[in-house]
Amino acid sequence: MLHSHSLLWHYLWLAPDILQVALAVLLYRRGFYKAYPVFFAYLIYEAIETFTLYAVDVLPWTTAESYWRIFWVTLIIGGLVKFAVIGELLRHLTYSRSALAKAGDLTFACAGVGLTLLAVLVAAYTTPHNPHWLVAGALLLLQATYVVQCGLILFVFLLAAYFRLSWDRATFGIALGFSIVFCQHLASRAVEVSFALPENGIVFDLLNMATYHVCVLIWCYYLLVPRKKPAISAQPLPENNLAVWNRELERLLQK
Amino acid sequence: MNLAIFIVIIAALTLSAILLLSVKQTLQNRQSVNLTGSIHPIDVEAFRNLTNPAEDEYLRRCLTPAQFRRVRRERLLALVAYVHLVAENAGVLVAVGESALAGGDARLADPARALVNDALLLRRNATMAMARIYIALAWPNSGFAAARVADRYEQLSGTAMLLGRLQNPAVPVRLSAMR
Repeated sequence: MLHSHSLLWHYLWLAPDILQVALAVLLYRRGFYKAYPVFFAYLIYEAIETFTLYAVDVLPWTTAESYWRIFWVTLIIGGLVKFAVIGELLRHLTYSRSALAKAGDLTFACAGVGLTLLAVLVAAYTTPHNPHWLVAGALLLLQATYVVQCGLILFVFLLAAYFRLSWDRATFGIALGFSIVFCQHLASRAVEVSFALPENGIVFDLLNMATYHVCVLIWCYYLLVPRKKPAISAQPLPENNLAVWNRELERLLQK
Repeated sequence: MNLAIFIVIIAALTLSAILLLSVKQTLQNRQSVNLTGSIHPIDVEAFRNLTNPAEDEYLRRCLTPAQFRRVRRERLLALVAYVHLVAENAGVLVAVGESALAGGDARLADPARALVNDALLLRRNATMAMARIYIALAWPNSGFAAARVADRYEQLSGTAMLLGRLQNPAVPVRLSAMR
């Protein structure tokens, strides 16, 4: 075991992913994976990643170096999967709105490129305190990844707000959960990479895990609890004159 | 200021923005009953006059360069106000269309979807037109075409009329003010 941990630590490390596995099983039974295959794959992958890292951490014959090497691999794969999930959320928002699909994809790609450049710039100006490249590099990469992910998820919300798109419940729940995790983890990792924290930053680790726990609970709520059916009410129409409008349109077309 | 502290502040602001947008969206969905009442009537004729390149050419011939630049800037500022209203109306119609789709009435599905797509296209074009107008404000002698916004707006009004008739055949629909 690399470090001895408290009961709270063990709970916060494992509980969210056990909950996540249960969520994945329930969603599979409901056929949810057909509509959100990437997010479903993320649920499975994240659980495997967490259990693997947990096993490496508690097993007595593993070293810190092997832990961090495995962490690097999971960091890269996990980052790519999360980017794919954000892309899936955007597609769910724009797929049925053909007028926005192309423009949405283009601006999303531009935002991604811009944010990547920003993340690289931020990383270049960050001075990590940890002398070990495995640890410092991993934290820097995490910080950079979260910069891009925060920016992209904010972009999705801004796009929906500007064009007054209505979210479906599942898409909104997934996006909200990820927003909270990305923003909190970005703040946490930025502090961890730059400052030497007391007790190896255990408070921040607990905070990160607790935030992820909240995120999984949010997903459970939005994905499992059915939406209340809204009362169907007819929209009142403006008091206007259709005949005059048609006449004016014909006049404009004849110009 | 340390970069890490700056990143923490940015992350907090980002999360606050997302939560505010979420709350705003939820409130807007609950207040979707009287959306059409918030549509601003627009004088399409006046709008077309402002985008007419022949008008610009006439003014360029009749006025001195300095006078033309001043008048063109005023026309462009008026145009920004119109295009902004068009974008607002398009946003309202997106919400109306989305609300009609959420209602589940199969009869309204196709016109509602068409309304949403037309309104989104118009809002997108209005955004691009506003960007071009602001560029033209910096360079008053340049030409641009915001006429597409007028054409799209008329098309959108037709789609809104159809949806309105399907929802309530007795009441006519109009999205622009007529003199």
